[in-house]
Amino acid sequence: MEPIVIRGRGALGGVAEGPALISRRTITGWGGVDVHTGKVKEPGHPLEGMSLKGGILIMEGSRGSNGWSIFFHAAQVSGFGPAALVFPHLDSRTAVAAAVLNIPTVTDLESDPFGVINVGDRVRVDGDQGLITVIRVLRISEIGEGEDCV
Amino acid sequence: MVLPFCLKKGMASLNLLESERTQMNLNGIQKSILDGERGQAPQKAMELIVRYAGVLGAERLCRVSWADLFCGAHHYLDVAGSDDFDRVFSTMSLCTTQTAELKQMDRGCICYSGVEVDCTEVPEKMLVGPDRQTKNLAMLSRFVNSGVVLSGSCVPYLLGFVPLAGEHFVSCESSAVLFLNSLWGACGNGDGIEASFCAAVCGYTPLWGRHLPENRKATHVVEIQSRPESIHDWDVLGHTVGMRLPPMAVPVITGGYSRPDAIRLKAFFASLACAAGTEMCHLEGITPEAATIQQALGDNPDQACIPVSTVDVAESVEALNGHDRQPIDYISLGCPHYHIDEIRRIAAFLDGRRIHPDTLVHVWTAGPFKYMADRCGYTRSIENAGAHLLTGSCPSTRGYPAGMRTAAYDAAKQRMSAAQETDARLFYGSVEQCLQTAISGIWEGH
Repeated sequence: MEPIVIRGRGALGGVAEGPALISRRTITGWGGVDVHTGKVKEPGHPLEGMSLKGGILIMEGSRGSNGWSIFFHAAQVSGFGPAALVFPHLDSRTAVAAAVLNIPTVTDLESDPFGVINVGDRVRVDGDQGLITVIRVLRISEIGEGEDCV
Repeated sequence: MVLPFCLKKGMASLNLLESERTQMNLNGIQKSILDGERGQAPQKAMELIVRYAGVLGAERLCRVSWADLFCGAHHYLDVAGSDDFDRVFSTMSLCTTQTAELKQMDRGCICYSGVEVDCTEVPEKMLVGPDRQTKNLAMLSRFVNSGVVLSGSCVPYLLGFVPLAGEHFVSCESSAVLFLNSLWGACGNGDGIEASFCAAVCGYTPLWGRHLPENRKATHVVEIQSRPESIHDWDVLGHTVGMRLPPMAVPVITGGYSRPDAIRLKAFFASLACAAGTEMCHLEGITPEAATIQQALGDNPDQACIPVSTVDVAESVEALNGHDRQPIDYISLGCPHYHIDEIRRIAAFLDGRRIHPDTLVHVWTAGPFKYMADRCGYTRSIENAGAHLLTGSCPSTRGYPAGMRTAAYDAAKQRMSAAQETDARLFYGSVEQCLQTAISGIWEGH
């Protein structure tokens, strides 16, 4: 089967691979992430309870406080940061998060990732080439069996 | 086709690489800062700003003359694992593994401290505890020495933070960015806490987004059909509009409502910024870049109207406050910090009344308004009723009273933030409903 490839602009270089933490709904700016555990703590969020650690964070954009980046940054300093970032389009808050985390980041996507990538899918982000590749789709039987984003 | 957009190759180092600085169009002063000629802290700050510009695809920087920061020993700084100011500031604000000494904010930039970790009025009840407060005061002292003014408020625009139309500012307060862009014509982005500090230290930020005239034009037309009048109406409306907008939208608001004043817009912008992250919002015939809808839209094509009905607004209230009448343990009023006229009205309501003994009521404002309230006798009326008039902070930065099971707010922003901060049951209503609740001890809202 042909791997799913989404093209965009490499905003920060480098290559990273990990399980997809994907949600069209963004995480709220102030307090949406536990800075000591890296877990999403926004009540009712699709990623609630999951850890950012090593994940490929894919969201539509930022929302809420200008303190958006600092919570992802603090989680990284604690050792629980994501491995790469993907945003269909950048806004100023998501761009600061990318600059601060300094991890591979792809944006200005040519197609919508939310319909083709699911939480837990193995994804490679190539910030040099501006490519997102789904290298392994999570099978139903694997859900909840130790993917390191959960 | 991807490669035309792929501006940077092979950049994964923590340090700024040559490729990042060569793609930027930096002037001589900016290059000298990047080369460390003004010291290590400005150099590290400029490195982050240049990397930020690279992420955005911005080619130039602009001069920042006003910076509203977020100073003090805020809880997320604990992850730095140090009590050394320069170590913490370098790690968390300059985003470097090296320790750079903060000597002076950029001399051309007026800096405000923003909301603080705790208030100063009830030192015996500091929720943050004595250790954090000691650390906080030490940090604030270093910021003062570097040229930062201790403003202690989320409404800097009411306290002399006055970037003029076309002037570039940074602010860590989302509602202030929306207010200053929309109402005053000043230019700023949401950015983030780290980028704001770096801009204040080196004096520059990327020339991108709302700093450019073409990105200040409206992208969505929102027709208000609900006829908002009170401050509460406008506060709810910000939530309703925000929930209908995509990220980065610049709405222009139109409709048959009465002309709102700055206090109503303060509430509207706070809940809109919190709900949607909006950085700029035109109001037809009210804000300076929207004498007409066509002026607000500029070259953007005509947009289909997003209608906001009375039913839509009622759904917001329902979403923010879905609870029945219950005893209320805590009421927090003043988000964003109250204007003196809002305090005057509260003092008039509470004068001669008594707060229910089981309900704790905090009324938040900025220091200069507290000074006015003291002189006018408003503080006495509020305190005699059993409520507390406090400055400098709010529950989002200070924390909540121990054992709190229920909490009520007159601000959608505070109500939305609280969902991440406490397990208590949360209530939302007008200031009148909150004050009536304060007297009876039972929720008197919707």
